[in-house]
Amino acid sequence: MIPRILTLGGHDFTSRPPDRAVSELMLRLATERAGGRPKICILPTASGDTSEQIGRFYAAFGERPCDPSDLSLFRLGRRPMALREHLLAQDLIYVGGGSMVNLLAVWEAHELSAILSLAWRQGIVLAGQSAGAMCWFESGITKSSGRPEPEAGLGLLHGSLCVHYNNEPDRRAAYLDAVGNGMPGGYGLDDYAGLLWEGEGPPSAVTARRGARAYRVSSGETGVIESPLPARFLPAPAPAALREDIAEFRRIKSMRRRAGWLG
Amino acid sequence: MEPVHAGEAVGVNFGPLYKGRRASPEDHLGMEIAPRQIVAFGGGGFSMESGNPLLDDYVLGLCRRERPRVCFLPSASGDADHYVVRFYRAFPADRCEASHISLFRREQGPEDLREHVLSQDLIYVGGGSVVSLLGVWRAHGIDAILREAWEAGVVLCGLSAGSLCWFDEAVTGFHGAPRRVEGLGLLPFSNCVHYEPTSERRFAYHEMLRDGMRPGYAAEDGAGLHFVGCELDRVVASRPAARGYRLDAVGPRVVEMRLATAYLGEAPPVRRLPGADSPSLATASAA
Repeated sequence: MIPRILTLGGHDFTSRPPDRAVSELMLRLATERAGGRPKICILPTASGDTSEQIGRFYAAFGERPCDPSDLSLFRLGRRPMALREHLLAQDLIYVGGGSMVNLLAVWEAHELSAILSLAWRQGIVLAGQSAGAMCWFESGITKSSGRPEPEAGLGLLHGSLCVHYNNEPDRRAAYLDAVGNGMPGGYGLDDYAGLLWEGEGPPSAVTARRGARAYRVSSGETGVIESPLPARFLPAPAPAALREDIAEFRRIKSMRRRAGWLG
Repeated sequence: MEPVHAGEAVGVNFGPLYKGRRASPEDHLGMEIAPRQIVAFGGGGFSMESGNPLLDDYVLGLCRRERPRVCFLPSASGDADHYVVRFYRAFPADRCEASHISLFRREQGPEDLREHVLSQDLIYVGGGSVVSLLGVWRAHGIDAILREAWEAGVVLCGLSAGSLCWFDEAVTGFHGAPRRVEGLGLLPFSNCVHYEPTSERRFAYHEMLRDGMRPGYAAEDGAGLHFVGCELDRVVASRPAARGYRLDAVGPRVVEMRLATAYLGEAPPVRRLPGADSPSLATASAA
């Protein structure tokens, strides 16, 4: 299997069409690697392992043909796991957003960085958004300390990445500054735009929302240049039909709520 | 090999230890200067003993301001929301000026960490993973700031991971087999928390001491080790039976010394003989 990484500028795990399209792509990549029902695992380290991030991940994948799990380093006390064995048994490892500085510091402290690069070389698909996307590059622009600042990543991918490109003008400005001042060039990714890296070649751009773009950012004779990349549009799959019992449960719940039985 | 239990009289191998006195360092002009203080709980406080505020009251009592400034560092829990909420409930506004620093959400907290930490009277570090705690602290430079605060007289305290972090070396048992970690090194000892008689950590700690880990201190749940400077000043407890320990290895033998511990609550009532109404034993037996 060739090493693959999917880096996303920003997305969530809701049932909205662009989010479903992103989840579908991850599921497809994981299934290709597994050749059957894949194992996928979220590393929510960058958020401090919030229940919210973990819950949304399970909500997105719980009903899909895969075995989802979470590896929460801050919760190991209550739920011990063998880190290396668990991670290397996955088909896809997804890294959530949050603080890039804390993500890398905690990974380093638990010696996860080496396990993840081994996983990557073994063809386990790595994926992530925001801090979870920038961490694979040589550097990224993080707001871990409040203001946007350059921060070194694991360096599995050459160059740099700036996320939330359309949404956060201050982050983009800091990125253009840093590239102008000698930081290796790289990519800017809008929310719902992504780059799929396969093997050694250049990445292919994907987008799950009309208008969301990926940019190549490089320093040239005339200053820093941003050039949009042609991107493949990811259509959203039809929402999974609600199973009859779930629909029934929801009907009862809404009737009860109307009757004032539930808060 | 079973540890050797030594009574408190055996102090010959231990150097300056437990002196049972209040230190009040003075500078050369005779002015009192703020001592460096750390209170390391083996476990306890609002995180573990809801309804028993004795340890939390004790650390608040060390502050010089009437309404002390207390800052909570929940880094070891990944800045868990529910933990931060419990802190604010345990340290209400009528008793102190409470704040917290979330290193996972820096955009919401105080902008200048150093300034905020140095303006506090008490830093309270929560429990969780000491390995993650130290990783995150070092990434944000909090380790250096805390040392500075300690030297300036800000009282440092914490339980579990929030105790281990202050020492040179520590035994973490957060997940998997207990292992050795290097702490911030403010206190030149080793440390073990949740030091219950049959705990896996206790045996692991003894093994580490035999393997050359430096001598140190351990505390049971409910016990707090109060250091002034780098010396143990006293051991306090929120439970009558909780104790602190001093540990050392002499060759292949581990010497574990149980330390006199001051219970912070009211003294338990004197048990009377059944059927005796009179307060003194002498009268009871005469009746």
